[in-house]
Amino acid sequence: MALTFAASSHAAVRKASPLGRAVRRSLTGWAFAGPATVLVVGLSLFPAIWAFFISRARWNGISPGVPVGWSNYQRLATDPDMLAAARHTLLLTVLFVPSSIILGIVVAIALNQRIRLIGFYRTCIFVPYVASAAATGILAGFVFNPQFGAANDVLRHLGIPQQQFLESPTQALYVICLIALWGEVGFCTVIYLAALQDIPRELVEAATMDGASRWRVFRHITLPELRPVTVFTAVWQTITAVQLFDLIYTTTRGGPLNSTQTVVYYIYELAFQTQRLGYGAAAAYLLFAVTLMLTIGIIWYSRRRGSEVF
Amino acid sequence: MTKPLRLLAGGVGAALLLSACMGGTSDDGKDSAAGYDPAATVELTWWTGQTEEAEKVAEALAAEYHTAHPNVTIKTSPGAPTTDDLLTKLSAGFAGGSYPDISYAYGNWAGDLGASGKTQDLTAYVQDPSFKWTEMPEAARTVATANDKVIGIPALVDNLAVIYNKSIFDKAGVAYPTDEWTWEDFRSAAKKLTDPATKTYGTAYSVSGSEDTTWHLWPLLWQNGGKILDGTKPAFNSDAGVTALETLRQMAVDDKSMYLDQTDEKYHPLFNSGRVAMIITGPWALLEIKEAKLSYGVSNLPGVNGDHQTVSGPDLWVLFDHNDANRAGAARDFIKWLTSAQTDAKWNLAVGNLPLRSSEQSTPEFAAYVKEYPGGQKFFDNLANAKQARPTVPGYEVLSRNVGDAIASVLQGKTSSKDALDAAAKKSADAVVN
Repeated sequence: MALTFAASSHAAVRKASPLGRAVRRSLTGWAFAGPATVLVVGLSLFPAIWAFFISRARWNGISPGVPVGWSNYQRLATDPDMLAAARHTLLLTVLFVPSSIILGIVVAIALNQRIRLIGFYRTCIFVPYVASAAATGILAGFVFNPQFGAANDVLRHLGIPQQQFLESPTQALYVICLIALWGEVGFCTVIYLAALQDIPRELVEAATMDGASRWRVFRHITLPELRPVTVFTAVWQTITAVQLFDLIYTTTRGGPLNSTQTVVYYIYELAFQTQRLGYGAAAAYLLFAVTLMLTIGIIWYSRRRGSEVF
Repeated sequence: MTKPLRLLAGGVGAALLLSACMGGTSDDGKDSAAGYDPAATVELTWWTGQTEEAEKVAEALAAEYHTAHPNVTIKTSPGAPTTDDLLTKLSAGFAGGSYPDISYAYGNWAGDLGASGKTQDLTAYVQDPSFKWTEMPEAARTVATANDKVIGIPALVDNLAVIYNKSIFDKAGVAYPTDEWTWEDFRSAAKKLTDPATKTYGTAYSVSGSEDTTWHLWPLLWQNGGKILDGTKPAFNSDAGVTALETLRQMAVDDKSMYLDQTDEKYHPLFNSGRVAMIITGPWALLEIKEAKLSYGVSNLPGVNGDHQTVSGPDLWVLFDHNDANRAGAARDFIKWLTSAQTDAKWNLAVGNLPLRSSEQSTPEFAAYVKEYPGGQKFFDNLANAKQARPTVPGYEVLSRNVGDAIASVLQGKTSSKDALDAAAKKSADAVVN
């Protein structure tokens, strides 16, 4: 069978000229790569490049665009709303990333035990991650409603004063961070659970034989073994935090007093609420540059430490 | 070609293509309906911006017009899931070259739409005596005019007035608001009506920072002699503006008699459930108040030195040019029919809005409207107090957002009126262009 196949394909090759063969080969190649290439170019690269040209114009989507060079970018640097939005994003990231990693490790270790109904517990932790952030946001809006919400009911029973939560400029961002954690911890947990189960059993056994306490096993074996995964989750969760939009849209819409207006939400507001597409595109490019640098920074740091994950 | 050269050529090609996508058409100065043949067969696309009941009424009217003019077919649809989404749909339509002949539009979009170069110029058309342009409120006619060109016909007119809950006033023993009230009267009544024990507020204000927050300030600004813009420069941070915002701040911060709504969506339901004694709102609130079976009254806005002017938020039917005289002409004729006193009574009055034309006051439909909504007559009379309009300039949206943020922060006691308005004016300075 194999022989026949080889012979017939030889015959076909002999007929075609070298040029025809090259064309055919490259056509076959493109037939495989083509559909995906069209999708990537058409739906990712083209809009990205277009957005760059828009970012150098003053354009509201309706009247003709006016090229303004780099002035959109220059204005960004002095825009107080942009600086406030950057501060909110930074605060959100600084709160969200470490807490989601720490919580993820703790929950993963708890779920790595041999106990009854472990599958059920694992599912419970992962369900919020599967639920859409929009649904999470709307439900959280009910829970944290200052007048009728369950959160204030609990506080009342505990004798703690009623809180405004999402309607208070000083609390809203923290509440959003909490809701985001609730939704995202499942993801970290699953990643860490897999990583924990990948730690060679011999290492743990050897350390125990040498008389290491459980804490020292955790500190000197488990944590170092988890480092590559931690780099990955740190990058991933940073991107999640920086890109957080749906939750804010469904809970506070950037309010009260713009206290939950993050960079992504500000971009949305610029481009689609006040129709400043050029300025919004410039802000989006700035965000892209910052995310890229952050990611490169983390990768560079982790490579220097000797744990390659990307 | 070498690789860098090829990349460069590709980049230049993409840039040309992209800048073509951002362009608009410039106005050629010709009347878009010149040489219009009323007997030609045309198909018009009409985005009504309406949902549910009102959309059904619109479709029935389009069918009625088709019966009378069989050569004109009108494809009627809401255009977008909500009226707010229409602007995005229109801008996508402009980029893709498929936009409707007639679209509903909020009045504050007029500046942007007028600058698109895709609207018809109706300036000469509406001056025709048979159109009876001056029967429409002046504020509405101003909003339909962007950059000295009439780009659309008013579709809906409204204004702000005080709606008050009579039973809260009776319980507190406070006299009902009158048309001669000053803002001091309003403030002292609001203070007396506020009762923390029953969680009742004298009045309410939206602090979401949206246009709903902003435009409630404009009548106060005008009454104090202020202006929103001076040419293209923000002028709302004048002494008049500070006095205006200070009036609101005293109620919100000093007296705590004003419920501050973070969302735009709560103060109407709170009024309807008897938690707020007076709200400043428009005729659109009457339907739900009627359903809540409140005993209510309507009075003019409080005034400054006897000036009780209010603000109107007219919406428009914007007519677009498709380089087809027959379509342009047919669209004009249809809208002329739709906004005529006769048809409008079957449209705006039927769906609970104020009539577009003063001449509709004598129609049986208006009598039925006033009977159904007791405050309707007051709102109709109050149209005469809408003396100024919000500016129809591109960039008003940005200015509005900045002023909204300023008001929200002042009413929540974070900034002083002067500082907040100055900061908003500074941020808006380059947003408004010619």
